[in-house]
Amino acid sequence: MEGVSGGAAGDGGVSEATPELRVKLAVYRHFADSGLAPSVAEIAARTGTGVGEVRQTYARLRAQRVLVLEADGESIRMAPPFSGVPTQHRLTSDGVTYYANCAWDAFGIPAALHRPAVLHSRCDASQEPLELAISAQGPPSSDWFFHCAVPATKWWNDIVFT
Amino acid sequence: MLFFRSEERVREWCLKRGLPVRPLVTLDQLWGLAHAWYSTRLEANARRPQPDEMRRIFAGLGLTGAFWDPQADKF
Repeated sequence: MEGVSGGAAGDGGVSEATPELRVKLAVYRHFADSGLAPSVAEIAARTGTGVGEVRQTYARLRAQRVLVLEADGESIRMAPPFSGVPTQHRLTSDGVTYYANCAWDAFGIPAALHRPAVLHSRCDASQEPLELAISAQGPPSSDWFFHCAVPATKWWNDIVFT
Repeated sequence: MLFFRSEERVREWCLKRGLPVRPLVTLDQLWGLAHAWYSTRLEANARRPQPDEMRRIFAGLGLTGAFWDPQADKF
């Protein structure tokens, strides 16, 4: 699997991995390849497991704060830094469109992909557009700011608001 | 977790919502946070930073104080 390194099996040990790890890697690979949230059926096919088992694994990954799910328990709202729904933080990289959950995650997508991306976002007060060409080494010099209204100890109390 | 054009715009945004202004983070600092959190996210051995590691990452970027403490009881 691209992006997975090491392991005697040459696949980063994925073939011997737990269901949680196999599903997590499949979800993240789908987001990285397409910019979209995968369906449960797509992850079941990709990991060679049943749809019911994938749903159960999603619930465990939600408990571990790896995924944020919609109320149906199977639609992925967040696999940070990727968003399963459109947001005000849109990126393009290698012809793929991605949405980030927040400003932090907007930088997290090129950091996770290890490749350049163009970010389209905005100032949340003035609505002034922000467009940044982010390289694999980081953003260009800029006098914009990032601001988080929620202290670190409360980030997961309501991660969608955070 | 949002972008703002200037400190003045942050203050406007917070005042409108009755929220306190929190520490401002430059985009260079934000890249440091994003890289620390996500650069291994697609790999099999990826894991989220634990509290002690979070404190070290924040401190290394000059982000100190209770706001950045994941186990602070002040807030």
